Amino acid sequence: MNTSDASLPGQMRIATTTKTILREAGIGIALLVLILVFSTTTQHFLTASNVTNILTQVTINLILSIGMTFVILIGGIDLSVGSVLAFCAVVAGTVMTLPGLDPSTAVILATLSAVAGGIAFGLLNGFISAYWVIPSFIVTLGTLNIARGAALQVTNASTIYSFPPAFNAFGSQTLYGIPLLFLIALVLVAIGWFVLTKTVFGRVLYGIGNNEEAVRLAGHNVFIYKIAAFTICGGAVGIGAIIYMARLNIASPIIGIGFELNAIAAVIIGGTSLSGGRGSIVGTLLGACIIGVLANGLVLLGLSDFMRQMITGFVIIIAVILDKYRERLTKA
Amino acid sequence: MIENSSSPIKSVEPLLQLSGVAKRFGGVVALNGVSFDLRPGEVHALVGENGAGKSTLIKILCGILQRDAGTIMLGGVPYDPHTPGDAKLAGIQVVHQEFNLLPYLSVAENICFEDLPRNRFGIVDRRILHERARKALDSIGLADVDVRRPVASLGVAHRQLVEIARALMGESRILVLDEPTATLTARETKRLFAIIAALKAKGVAIAFVSHHLNEVFEICERVTVLRNGQSVMTCDISQTTPDQLVSNMVGRQLAAAMAATREVDKSGRTALSLHQLRHPASPNESGVSFDLHYGEMLGIAGLVGSGRTELLRSIFAADIPQSGSLDRDGKKVSYRNPKDAIADGIGFVTEDRKEEGLILDMPIAANVTLANLKAVSRYGLLNKRDEIKLTRELGADIKLKYGRPQDNASTLSGGNQQKVVLAKWLANNPRILLLDEPTRGVDVGAKAEIYALLRALADKGLALLVVSSELPELITLCDRILVMSNHRIAGELERQDFSEERILNFAYKDERSHEYQ
Repeated sequence: MNTSDASLPGQMRIATTTKTILREAGIGIALLVLILVFSTTTQHFLTASNVTNILTQVTINLILSIGMTFVILIGGIDLSVGSVLAFCAVVAGTVMTLPGLDPSTAVILATLSAVAGGIAFGLLNGFISAYWVIPSFIVTLGTLNIARGAALQVTNASTIYSFPPAFNAFGSQTLYGIPLLFLIALVLVAIGWFVLTKTVFGRVLYGIGNNEEAVRLAGHNVFIYKIAAFTICGGAVGIGAIIYMARLNIASPIIGIGFELNAIAAVIIGGTSLSGGRGSIVGTLLGACIIGVLANGLVLLGLSDFMRQMITGFVIIIAVILDKYRERLTKA
Repeated sequence: MIENSSSPIKSVEPLLQLSGVAKRFGGVVALNGVSFDLRPGEVHALVGENGAGKSTLIKILCGILQRDAGTIMLGGVPYDPHTPGDAKLAGIQVVHQEFNLLPYLSVAENICFEDLPRNRFGIVDRRILHERARKALDSIGLADVDVRRPVASLGVAHRQLVEIARALMGESRILVLDEPTATLTARETKRLFAIIAALKAKGVAIAFVSHHLNEVFEICERVTVLRNGQSVMTCDISQTTPDQLVSNMVGRQLAAAMAATREVDKSGRTALSLHQLRHPASPNESGVSFDLHYGEMLGIAGLVGSGRTELLRSIFAADIPQSGSLDRDGKKVSYRNPKDAIADGIGFVTEDRKEEGLILDMPIAANVTLANLKAVSRYGLLNKRDEIKLTRELGADIKLKYGRPQDNASTLSGGNQQKVVLAKWLANNPRILLLDEPTRGVDVGAKAEIYALLRALADKGLALLVVSSELPELITLCDRILVMSNHRIAGELERQDFSEERILNFAYKDERSHEYQ
């Protein structure tokens, strides 16, 4: 009895370690393999300008994916991020182009209003789904439409541009070939990682995704935590909206269509479980990079956009199948 | 007294014969050598305490679970069902304790679900459907129920009867009834017994699982007692008495280590007073009242569904009580959520480790600190070194066998998982511990260690409220036992009066004396 009990945890420990390695390292290896394949099969993949290009393309999806990771970790989902991004962008665009504001004030006010708009929708999503215990899939399907409609209404379906020149220039600046906007996204990754791994708040979020009732009975206010996760997601969308405007120098009510699906895909490919409780921001970073590299590399290979879309779809499914195997490994 | 000498039953070959059937779930042994047989035209009772293995046995018979060892012969050939469909083809029908009805379909659709009548276009033929269902309901005396009504609109008792009607639709050789009378009133029970008698006359073999020994003696020919996953006796009902069955159900042997007694300090102040506390799901308007003292281990006995878990949940504000009040250290308190209860020095070891107690896929350390993250954090930042230190210390105190604090809780055996749940609450230095089935699914060794731990806690002055379905557990552990029945306290026993028979008498006391709905 005693001997068998003592040897058991030893064997299990090996399985646990293997699992941890498989999780994040596995995704990293997949990314490296993709990079290797594209750099040998195409001429331009590893050039400085193309790398800058990929990082620029990854940036917005990465920011949305960070927020999405928080929501998916508690077992929720946020389908509204693409529409809310458009809503935040047109609000910020309107503020930024208000007459009589000096450029720096305009940019600061615009940024604050974009983040505030995102947080407002996050609060709404979180409150409705937590208070009435409605699946967030349905709640955010509703707010997806609300935000899109509001964006169109506010602008009368027109596009806003002519932002301060310094703001427009900021969006295309690089530091050693790395886009500044991507660096901002990396800072957000670092913050997200810190919050999820080093704080009580992050610990409780993981707990809720794994076993909400156990967390509630351990004396935590699950309601507040759930709202907070959605609010963080909304805030990330607000930041994403400003970044989008800095990069493309427009704010339009029809931007961001389908962004939610790319963000969810990045989170899932990054190894976060759709049922919640398992996953990491580092995985999400890698997942977003895989999507970006894949898109860029396939274009360089001369594949059509349609083919690219199909292949991305397969990658998502393969990632989830692999996740099932990892799960089985944990359970064994 | 029904003597079987005149009936043909005894001479008949058994229809179903089980020998040495065993089943494990991970480290937990559910069945460990069950043997019994079923003859055509007999009603055979299966009795045993909660957790004795009755439900597992039934699930194996009807193909939901597969046995690990042992043989089952059906009509002389090996029987090895892999799906419920296999069991039905073999002529075994089961009426489960949990309902398997489709709530938003009509009564008729439910009854005929396995063989919906179709017309020549392949469309469901409503007329024949309703006729068949009508006939089925009439045959069990449910003439007043409209077969077009959705099942969801029926009361519990009627649902149970619809379930039985559905099971009777097929031509079955064997009918297994799992606690069929649990939700029935006396009148409906009588009706069910008449149906059983008719089936028996047709030669159907019936396995009858029940907690109610009076029913067993009323309608069964033979009885098999299960205890701890084993069949400990089978005999003709005329050869036994209720007392003999009960003593076989609870068993007599208890490890000496577990039976260690404790000096009881009765001077303890009152830690908690319940005044007519009523759980929202309790039908008993006057609720539950009692006092719990520091240094006391108070046991709560009762059948499954008697309101024991609900009582603990309403104390802990896991469910907000419907009415009544709670005094803590003599002062009235009203907890809005578990957080308040925890802040007031209460811990709650829940019945179901996997669903409510543990986060299996998170580290042991994270589970240990879950209810007291403040102790291992500053300004909201976790100090993982402190967390691991606390886990190591508590782990040593409670003799936890584990690899590393960082390993997931799922890597532990059932007993050690339960110790982690205890550690989670001990990390909080509680003054009152509510324990719901503290040793469920725990092996004997770990059980003895948990008993010793709980005794030590009571000696340190904690107030312990222990709910358990294992009577020997309550009898060895507790200083006082309250017996619940239908969400009320049916009796109270002091240590010198403890006996399994007395507890069961209280537990069954007003089982039949009230009517549902």
